[in-house]
Amino acid sequence: MSDVQRFEHGSRVPGWDDAADLTKDPAVIPDPQTTPVPAELRTQIEAEMARYPAGRERAATIPALWAVQRHYGWCTPEGIVQAACVLEMTPAELIAVATFYDMFETRPVGRNTVYVCTNISCSLCGADELLAALRDEIGEDPDVNLRGFECLGACDIAPMASVNGAYIGPISLDEVPELARQIREGAEPLPAKRLVLRPSADPKVSASTPEDA
Amino acid sequence: MPRPVAQMVTFTLNGQEVTAPENAILADAALEHGNVEIPVFCYEPKIGGPVGACRMCLVEIEGIPKLQAGCSVPVKDGMVVHTDTPRVREAQEAVLEFILVNHPLDCPVCDKGGECPLQDKSFGWGDGISRFVEPKRHFEKPLALSPLIAIDRERCILCYRCVRFSQEVSEDHQLVLQERGAHAFVATFDGHPYVAPFSGNIIELCPVGALTSQPYRFRARPWDIEQSGSICTLCPAQCNVSFTVRDDRVLRVLQRDHEGVDDGWLCDKGRFAYQAIHVDERITQPLLRDGGELRPVTWELALETAAAALGRGRGRTAALAGGAATNEEGWLLQGLLRDSLDSADIDSRAGGTLPLDLHQALGAPALQASVPDLEFAHAVLVLGTEPVDDAPVLDLRLRKGVRRHGLQLFTATSRPSALDERAVLAVRYAPGAEAAFVAALDAALTGADVAGPAAAAGADADAVRALADGLRAAGEDIVVLWGERVCSGAAGADAARGLLNVAARLGLEGRDGAGLLGVPDGANGRGLREVGVLPNAAPGLAAPDTDGRDAAGIAAALAAGELTGVYLLRTDPLVDLADTPLWERALEKATTVIAHASFLTPGIAEHATVVFPAESHAEKEGTVVHPDGRLQRLRPAIGRQGETRPEWQVLAELRRALGNDERLLTCSMVTARMLESIPFYAGLTLDTIGADGTRWTERPQGAAAPAGAAAPFDLPAPAPAASPNGRLRLGTFRSIWASPEVGASPALKFLHPRQRVELAPGDAERLGVRHGSPVTVACDGRSVTGIAHVRASAPEGSVFLETAIAADSAAELDGPLVEVRPA
Amino acid sequence: MTDILLFRDIDEPGLATIDVYERRGGYQALRTALKTDPAELIETLKGSGLRGRGGAGFPMGLKASFIPQGDMQKYVVVNADESEPGTFKDRELMQKNPHQLIEGVIIAAYAVGATKSFIYIRGEYEEQADILDAAVQEAYAKGYLGENVAGSGVELSLHVQRGAGAYICGEETGLLDSLEGRRGNPRLKPPFPANAGLFQGPTLINNVETLSALPHIVELGAETYSAIGVANSSGTKLISISGNVQRPGNYEIELGMSSRDIIYGLAGGPPEGREVKFWFPGGSSSPVLTADDLDVGYDFDSIAKAGSMLGSGAIIVVDDSQSVVDVCLKLAHFYAHESCGKCTPCREGTNWTEKMLGRVKDGTATPMDLDIMASVQQRIIGNCLCVLGDAMAMPVSSMIAKFRGEFEAHIEAARAAADRAAVGVAG
Repeated sequence: MSDVQRFEHGSRVPGWDDAADLTKDPAVIPDPQTTPVPAELRTQIEAEMARYPAGRERAATIPALWAVQRHYGWCTPEGIVQAACVLEMTPAELIAVATFYDMFETRPVGRNTVYVCTNISCSLCGADELLAALRDEIGEDPDVNLRGFECLGACDIAPMASVNGAYIGPISLDEVPELARQIREGAEPLPAKRLVLRPSADPKVSASTPEDA
Repeated sequence: MPRPVAQMVTFTLNGQEVTAPENAILADAALEHGNVEIPVFCYEPKIGGPVGACRMCLVEIEGIPKLQAGCSVPVKDGMVVHTDTPRVREAQEAVLEFILVNHPLDCPVCDKGGECPLQDKSFGWGDGISRFVEPKRHFEKPLALSPLIAIDRERCILCYRCVRFSQEVSEDHQLVLQERGAHAFVATFDGHPYVAPFSGNIIELCPVGALTSQPYRFRARPWDIEQSGSICTLCPAQCNVSFTVRDDRVLRVLQRDHEGVDDGWLCDKGRFAYQAIHVDERITQPLLRDGGELRPVTWELALETAAAALGRGRGRTAALAGGAATNEEGWLLQGLLRDSLDSADIDSRAGGTLPLDLHQALGAPALQASVPDLEFAHAVLVLGTEPVDDAPVLDLRLRKGVRRHGLQLFTATSRPSALDERAVLAVRYAPGAEAAFVAALDAALTGADVAGPAAAAGADADAVRALADGLRAAGEDIVVLWGERVCSGAAGADAARGLLNVAARLGLEGRDGAGLLGVPDGANGRGLREVGVLPNAAPGLAAPDTDGRDAAGIAAALAAGELTGVYLLRTDPLVDLADTPLWERALEKATTVIAHASFLTPGIAEHATVVFPAESHAEKEGTVVHPDGRLQRLRPAIGRQGETRPEWQVLAELRRALGNDERLLTCSMVTARMLESIPFYAGLTLDTIGADGTRWTERPQGAAAPAGAAAPFDLPAPAPAASPNGRLRLGTFRSIWASPEVGASPALKFLHPRQRVELAPGDAERLGVRHGSPVTVACDGRSVTGIAHVRASAPEGSVFLETAIAADSAAELDGPLVEVRPA
Repeated sequence: MTDILLFRDIDEPGLATIDVYERRGGYQALRTALKTDPAELIETLKGSGLRGRGGAGFPMGLKASFIPQGDMQKYVVVNADESEPGTFKDRELMQKNPHQLIEGVIIAAYAVGATKSFIYIRGEYEEQADILDAAVQEAYAKGYLGENVAGSGVELSLHVQRGAGAYICGEETGLLDSLEGRRGNPRLKPPFPANAGLFQGPTLINNVETLSALPHIVELGAETYSAIGVANSSGTKLISISGNVQRPGNYEIELGMSSRDIIYGLAGGPPEGREVKFWFPGGSSSPVLTADDLDVGYDFDSIAKAGSMLGSGAIIVVDDSQSVVDVCLKLAHFYAHESCGKCTPCREGTNWTEKMLGRVKDGTATPMDLDIMASVQQRIIGNCLCVLGDAMAMPVSSMIAKFRGEFEAHIEAARAAADRAAVGVAG
């Protein structure tokens, strides 16, 4: 089974069982006067807003959430309020977007993101075993956010993983200890297995590529 | 944009020819014109366009291979539609089976049971069995979504209605869907409660029992209750409501959709303040002051005492009527005072006398815009009023106009408005500078000098010019939604003339879809004026024999001993009127203070000599006039609580005791007399007013209304605003939640406001005031305290405080300039 | 060789940079296009017979011709949210030859009169997004983007927007909502994006591969391009082959070649000693075909005639060592996870199907559940707001229909194993 961490609790997604905290004020559009925003975060969000036609700045919500996630490591409530303040939206509109997308983390996670694709093609090639092995090897490391993930679009290197955005594969089970060590130490993961270095599979392509280029 | 005119087309529905407006939504057209129900869950035209999410409404349209969603197909000429073929039946059963996959079917313990669209649809279109044998999802329930609303996420069918209401109708954007797919759920941000002025509407929108009213939960089953239609008189919006009654108690208030009034929405005050009807604090028997204490007495003694006191004070007694008084009560009160007590000192406005010809001109039928005009106009100027506080449901109407019909909204207020975000232009002026501002706008519209009056108004001259240009450029159908405070105070008459000038310059008179719409302070402010509760107007806005004192004049005369008694019909001057210090002296000095009241607010508790219990709006019978001229009828939903008697009857009995021998035995007799006495109401009866009300301004008899002064007027140069000299200009506002009913309703109590002092960041910094900390606002030796609320949008140089609250009200302060310092 | 167009020079070092791309003849087609009347250009696109490469196969030129005339703000949006399981061709195109795509975008924008364009790339493709960003900057610097495209006086902005992980954003209206900063829920159609798309403006939205073909169409002309392939499936197509094959990867083929030649000839077939059990011809949402269908021609019409669809051109091969139950459950789980939740049949149907398959897997189902499951699929198909529900229901239906015996045998075996475990019998 594909194992996506956010749904590890079966269908009991956090939030379902939560009541509103009646001691809080309603979450309206944050007043800039009472919502300090880190300058770096504000600059990034405002730059994203400028890319869209006037009056359509809210289109920058996803880039803004990326900025929050980069800044805090995950989409913290505080960061969301700050982004909402810059975007002149309510924080609820941002959390609605953040929870829709798999890559936004709305709970604290490790800074090293490791996605193991467990979709059909990869699982035909042993992805579930790879994920299990990697999970055993990494264990409970608070710095690592290891998740089984739906199709990452790299079925040609199945089974594969994305380590902090870098695609690597095919990964054999004997490479797992080395990979786990590289992830823990922040070293480049399995450099020889980087997707970006892989030539095309199509034999006609090499024929069409001049030797002297 | 003006309303589009639809052509009628004919289409075939289940073999039957049906004529309906072209492009009407098929589901609507089938029901309204073909008497065929296409089941829907997510579709609710009140919220907005179709979303096609629930898929309940699939129908077959010849020529289109796939089934189509009946909620999103516009009707076209010659279209052939089937809603009852086996294919359609199969699809409907399929969708219902899917909807029920995760629905708990806990109808026996569900509050919605018996009035649940999901039950009805399952009965009508489902196949009665489920093949789903897996365990259903289970969650904690019910959970609080707010103090007013409980959420049961197991029951939710994810129809999007509530979240769409929050996004597209009230535009508070607090309620959203989180997560994705079958995991999606309705929630707020990070556990914050969903608290917004219109939040309760989502309870009525929910087609299942997922959103329920905390105060109503488990109070009744649909077969235990009766619905009783009436009007909410808690504010001038006068929404049409339906009271849910069980055992002579109001248990709930629902909307009673009236396109001309409320568009089917209610604010939370109107929806939940019914609780104040049944609280112990409510006065339900007559009280008499005895040895400094108010004590319960018999009706006979109370009436006798009141009549005797009034008789003694003949010629030296004044009267004030609060906004919730009906036309009948106001009409009887002015009769009592003018005919039986030889007094002309009567008022229903807080803001000072306006010349009668200006009252007449401002209310002239040819100049009255209607509520739907707010939606369909080319442009609306919101002038000196905050709709969400003053007449809440109009706020939604304006947002709808902007969102759906391209309405261009302009705001011109001293305090930042909630509508600014939806306005093409928001213009600020100094608090109290309404007359100067209107003069500046008039000048801009005529091309005269704007700089002078704009400076006097503390407004930006370029912004005023941009406003004038914007209004002119938007189109011809322009509505000015103005608040009573515009025409209040010393310069009120100038402001009224300026406003009439603006209307004339924009050519609003006599134009359908354009005009003025004045929001009075009191719920029935317009009706009370028209029945003669003004110092200078008799019933029908006719000139009285003698002019009397206005509210401020009455206070001064009471304080000076020139008047000895005052009759307070549903008003407490210490709460509702300005200059609390003067009113304290006035009531202290008065020997007779007769009050109709529901609660012992400060002025009543301290100073009333006789208190008659006032009826709640659910008990009341009579008529009121909507700000747009619509006479509406109140019908009692429950019996009067305790020993409460009808207020019209109390007034009628006092009238008889003081020598008027006309027999008024029922409220409808009073209504008839009242209607007869006013020429422009001629021919109206309770029957013609009916369940939907009648705009008298649209009837031919309305032409009998006195025309009043004719614009344009020459306006005097406005007086320059006071020089601040380190102090701040005092602006006031009355929150939607500032009413005794809110304070008395257990569910709403948490919203009852305490003083908050709004000021701009620059001023706060200069004065050493921090957001959230207590501050003192002082003027002429008097002061109030409140919590500083530093708002980025607040204009520099001004400070805004709440009025109409029991403690620390801005009415304690005189202004126009105040000192603000940390407390 | 005419059957290498999009992948021409694809492994040449530095092709992702504008210098190498230009040296290889890049941006010449754009100059040609800019000298052509936009209406004529659209005729060329129509005449090329190019069908959308994203999955639906809608004729690209026709789609472009739906964009209304007039001076309203128009947009071109590139669907680079390649998320269909088994599909990874756009990834290689963007990573290795980003300028080919950018050139295609500019040609399309010129043809329809759009002055703003966006590439919406799935968030997981971080490496490719970085490459695209750099290429876009180069194109701006060289004047191919900006206020005066290649000196023609035409204006075009291009911005790369990254998604954040949601399959549904590959659906064009879901993508537009996501691009506008919302949850990626598909919209009700009509209106179609051509009339009211991004920010309610007329919008041409096409897949990466589709737009990458444009420079070649302009270069070759409609007639030459349309002569490649077979009737109704003209041009070359990138196919992604994965699963149980020896040489997985992307191949550029002429449409119409036999599926067997692709799976066995190009990709080397299943591992030694294994046979093809079944295969998805067009991504995981296409109904499966079996070994009996291997001689079907790989083109839109032939695959449709065989009862499936060409989809995104992604072939997933499953060999005879694999359990159809596992593949089916994996697939249902994926769609249940990716259902946006907006419409009822998809949200509940995918979720219910996954639960039923879970019971099949653990042996608590009965053969009757297979009938219910098949019926649930039929109740999903055609009743949803977008195609995601159908994308699960169609392959699941096909698997139950074609491998019912294996499902039943699995139930029987799993139940027997569970029973044995329950009474404590080993093995």
